[in-house]
Amino acid sequence: MKELAIAAYGLTKKFEGYLAVNDLDLEVQAGEVYGLIGPNGAGKTTLIRMLAAAEEPTKGEIYLHGDRLLRDDSNHGLKQRIGYLPDDFPLYDDLTVVDYLEYFARLYRLKPPRRDRRIQEVLELVQLENKRQSLISTLSRGMKQRLSLARTIIHEPILLLLDEPVSGLDPIARQQFRQIIKVLQEAGMTILISSHVLSDLAELCTSIGIMELGFLVESTSLSELYQRLSRPQITLATLGKMEKLTQQLSRHSLVKTWEIIDHHRLRIDFQGGTSECAELLRSLILADIPITEFHPSPEDLEGIFLKLGHQQTS
Amino acid sequence: MKPNIRLLNIPQSLSARFLDSNPQLFRELRGKLKTRNIVIAAAIAVMTQFMAVILLLGKLPAFNIIGNQCGRYGMALVYQEYSHQVCYAQNTAGDWVINWQLWWLDLFVILSLLSIFALLIGGTYLLIADLVKEEERGTLNFIRLTPQSASSVLLGKILGVPILLYTAIALVFPLHLVAGLQSQIPLHLILAFDLTVMASCAFYYSLALLWSLFNVGVSGLKPWLASGAIGFCLLFLTKLLSNDYHYLNFDHFLAWTFIFHPGIILSYLIDASHLRFGTTDFLTPNDLAQLSFYGQAFWTKAGTGISLICLNFCLWTYWGWAILKRRFHNPEGTMLSKVHSYWLTAWFTVIALGFTLQQDPLSTYVIIDNFIFLQFSLSLFGLGLIFALSPQRQTLYDWARYRHQTGKDNTLWKELVLGDNSPSTVAVAINLAIAILFITPSILLLLNHDKQAVFWGLILSGTNILLYAVIAQFILTSKTRHRGIWSMVTVGSMIILPPIFLGLAEVSFQALPQVWLLSFMPIEATQYASFGAIAFTLLGQWLGITVIGLQMTRKLKHAGASETKILMSREIINS
Repeated sequence: MKELAIAAYGLTKKFEGYLAVNDLDLEVQAGEVYGLIGPNGAGKTTLIRMLAAAEEPTKGEIYLHGDRLLRDDSNHGLKQRIGYLPDDFPLYDDLTVVDYLEYFARLYRLKPPRRDRRIQEVLELVQLENKRQSLISTLSRGMKQRLSLARTIIHEPILLLLDEPVSGLDPIARQQFRQIIKVLQEAGMTILISSHVLSDLAELCTSIGIMELGFLVESTSLSELYQRLSRPQITLATLGKMEKLTQQLSRHSLVKTWEIIDHHRLRIDFQGGTSECAELLRSLILADIPITEFHPSPEDLEGIFLKLGHQQTS
Repeated sequence: MKPNIRLLNIPQSLSARFLDSNPQLFRELRGKLKTRNIVIAAAIAVMTQFMAVILLLGKLPAFNIIGNQCGRYGMALVYQEYSHQVCYAQNTAGDWVINWQLWWLDLFVILSLLSIFALLIGGTYLLIADLVKEEERGTLNFIRLTPQSASSVLLGKILGVPILLYTAIALVFPLHLVAGLQSQIPLHLILAFDLTVMASCAFYYSLALLWSLFNVGVSGLKPWLASGAIGFCLLFLTKLLSNDYHYLNFDHFLAWTFIFHPGIILSYLIDASHLRFGTTDFLTPNDLAQLSFYGQAFWTKAGTGISLICLNFCLWTYWGWAILKRRFHNPEGTMLSKVHSYWLTAWFTVIALGFTLQQDPLSTYVIIDNFIFLQFSLSLFGLGLIFALSPQRQTLYDWARYRHQTGKDNTLWKELVLGDNSPSTVAVAINLAIAILFITPSILLLLNHDKQAVFWGLILSGTNILLYAVIAQFILTSKTRHRGIWSMVTVGSMIILPPIFLGLAEVSFQALPQVWLLSFMPIEATQYASFGAIAFTLLGQWLGITVIGLQMTRKLKHAGASETKILMSREIINS
């Protein structure tokens, strides 16, 4: 059993009139990439802020690698271990890229030559070496986001807390960001990342936590989650006989629901295995339905999230 | 050549080490010390000096005019029937004889006052604007999350944010020094003046940082409000310090405010230039010498006077810094811990009483007047304490829930007296008791007349403040939105409205003192009120305090029970 990087027990945060985080227990093992998903207002940002010591919990305790995290001036050792990237990544427009990183390296008490070496390393990692002397105000959004990540890891934290790090980025910038996260994961960092881009999380994470209305509805490894909750889906296309197709499907016991994608395509939730899939295809062809596409696939993270989120809200 | 290289490296390595020890300063210097900015700052400094010199040169006699010319820098005194005039005489070569020492002194005073105004008004503006911007942008949170201490970050801000202003002042310094030396002010006094200005900057800048960390909901106006207020006070005091106000009494409690103006020590410097009495029209040390502390005239000598003025700034800076350090890492918490507040009250009372007891204890009028101002300042201080010690609603409710869950009744008083999350009322009462206990012996021993009036005035002021504290805390526990503003408005109305209505109704202290006893300044009325009226007022105030206090206790107990119930029910659902 690996060491617990994050252990939070009974974590509660109450703001004026509402509970943002509600008696939440969370355990994240060292070296994991833990994805936190949930709708807006679920309490993800508040949870991350509490784990980063940016917010005082109303109740509960947080341990990072076994040490109690307290939000006061004396907690220097623990602060050194955390890297926190908020969703709005504020920067200083009047500084150059290298001055900005040097400033934070100094704030985290990095001394030369380690400081210079580290600045160079993070600039290479986030691919901003050629922008080191540029003013921050001249950078694009994607570059600013990468610079923020560089700032977050400048002091070599062992725990990264990333709140919506890819929001507002174009697909190329998102791809670059994912690559950087993978490198950090390989370097042994524990990463807790919240995002609405579930496909990214599915690619990056080893474990997933689903939040809803301040509760942690689910917290498990990604493989276990798929195994337990993911149902196969089949995408079907036909040549203009949609009515006949739906009639045929409604007679099939393993077909639970379907969703019409366009005039001649639909997606069905299927409760059978591979042989049952083949049986379904055969029955559709025998029913004289011109099938042009038959594509079985596992249910994605979004589907699982919607299912779980709906259960909780109910 | 090696030793030379090492010598040259010393300052560089020192500065590098200093910058390493203070990353915030590094950030401010990197962000602000750009060539363009430095050139602008230098140009402003040079232009200001140029204008000051031109202005004073313009007051010298014109070379091409023959005949009598009079002016400030003449050396000949011409007596007329009711007055005398200073005129310019000519020497044997036909040149005007000019009082250059006075000319240089005027230049010195102008540059000194300009520097003070620029540093205190400009510096506070820049600091507040910078910190407000950091808070709004969210970058201050990053700094809070780093291992840097609040002191290091805030010191970096103070040294770094106004760096261009410091650069400009540094460029004024050579002319300022030359002007001082030319007007025959001793070098050590000029340096003492500079030190005092630095001490005043530390004090005002600490206040500025404190103000910028308050969440008062007017972030855009914060820099303007603070620097405007400081500018107004400085202008007002400077005007008072000029010789137009010969009736200015320095043996008065309010003269304490003058030592918050670093320019006041210019009087010592002007005196040290040994210019003929009356040649300068700025404050003379004779005025300042009237000021005393516990009856001791400490301000007669330049050394002691300047040291005490510096000490005054340093001690206030210490308290400002104590609040700042607390506020920086916990903006939602109370400004002061309860233990800190007891020390602060004790210290404030000692200082305030010192300035109340001026040189001539027999002068009944002055001392009664001083005690009235002492009570007024204590009341203002008490209002500040209410604001600084009262926790927010959620904190109080969490505390109530904790109390409900633990159910330890034996720790209640300890928490009320020492705990930071408990209601502030008991702590405010203790603070008032500290002040009253320290001041009462002076009233009873030193006052010959109106002893009882002053004493009861003090007691009534204290209970008034306690009543305000209970009301403010009660409003802070309510569900209303903008509770902080409501509590301030309510307490403010209780202070301001009664005198306005009574004034409009033309009800004087003498005519109806019983009503005035309930005002913010009951001491004005105690002189005319009977003991029965005072006792009745006290009883009424305590009744109010008890009723509201009990109501708040009931509310908190109920809140504690229901908060616990809510959390418990959620725990059951979760399990």
